[in-house]
Amino acid sequence: MTHLTSDELVDALDIALEPSRQIHLDACQPCQQQLSELDAALNTARGIAVPEPSPLYWQHLSARVRTAIDAEPVAVDRWRQWLRWPVLAPIGGLALIVMALAATLPQETTVDREIAVSEPLGVSLDDRFAIVADLVGDIDWDTAVSAGLTVAPGAADLALLELTATEQQELTRLLQAELTRAKS
Amino acid sequence: MTHGSAVRDAWTPAVSPGWKVTVVTPTETETTIAVGTLDDGALVAAAVEGRRDAFDVIVERHRRIVYQVCFRFVSNHEDASDLTQESFVRAWRGLRTFKGHSALSTWLYRIAVNVCLNRVSAKAPATEPIESTDRLEDTRIEGAQATLLREERAATVRKAITSLPKKQRATLILRTYHDLSHQQIADILGSSVGATKANFFHALANLKKLLGNEP
Repeated sequence: MTHLTSDELVDALDIALEPSRQIHLDACQPCQQQLSELDAALNTARGIAVPEPSPLYWQHLSARVRTAIDAEPVAVDRWRQWLRWPVLAPIGGLALIVMALAATLPQETTVDREIAVSEPLGVSLDDRFAIVADLVGDIDWDTAVSAGLTVAPGAADLALLELTATEQQELTRLLQAELTRAKS
Repeated sequence: MTHGSAVRDAWTPAVSPGWKVTVVTPTETETTIAVGTLDDGALVAAAVEGRRDAFDVIVERHRRIVYQVCFRFVSNHEDASDLTQESFVRAWRGLRTFKGHSALSTWLYRIAVNVCLNRVSAKAPATEPIESTDRLEDTRIEGAQATLLREERAATVRKAITSLPKKQRATLILRTYHDLSHQQIADILGSSVGATKANFFHALANLKKLLGNEP
């Protein structure tokens, strides 16, 4: 039979060796020798105590910990981290672009197309919106994300790149007007 | 009214002139006594809610074991104090992450061991005995000399433990002095039970090698 492995020797130290292996250990001189040496090293280590600091030390330690914690920066709630100018400024800018884009979209074409689609079916826009609202009303944010119904990162940038030269000029004009209005 | 309370006449409402409202504020001693009776889980909850006195009690209860773990790692009081302080500061920072799946002491062990592992430089074990211990066999030495030799021997063993590779050292310390199971040690070190047992075996084997002929 093979000699005890390191795991088994540790089990033997813990007096948790499997009976079949214990039989081997009882009969094997080299394994007994190895176990004896490990046991001696363990007992040597066990005999060493940590020097006890002075009784006053513990109060001193507590005071040190208290002082160190007092010096810690105050934790800020995660949602508050979003309410900082470096975060708010780009988000605000992006929102402005989206609003400007919405304002420059050709409304007549959309309405014409809606009428063209809705007339043959005999269903009004409100009815269709009610159906959609009914279908998606119970979908939570996580489900929408997993279904790919959310705006992809960078979508606003892509939309901006797809504008025609005229639309970009109009967007620039709107943004400048908005900035002027904000300054005043 | 509770004995020892600080009573402040804080407010007398104008609408009911016949009544006098007093606000009773517990003294600092009363607050300490109150949190001192809480178990560890309740103390953590109170500390998370901002009760600094609750965390003070946590420190008071566990400072000794945390200090001892740190001392075993570095074998000197100054470094052990620094490491203990850092362990508790990290515990304070991470208090919200303590979910109570393990005992608070086990969680603090984990923090202390990680602080020690990060701070203490890795040292390969020496391949020859640190010093001769033949004179320890001399039974004629008595009194102060014997005490001195015992301290010298203890220092030698501590030095040997300090020179073990970090994970072997952590395993030896937690198993030998803090009586943690291999499973608990594996959880703390983020390893398997098999790896923990192997570390323990090699720690003892290296210790034997470092201490030479000394039993």
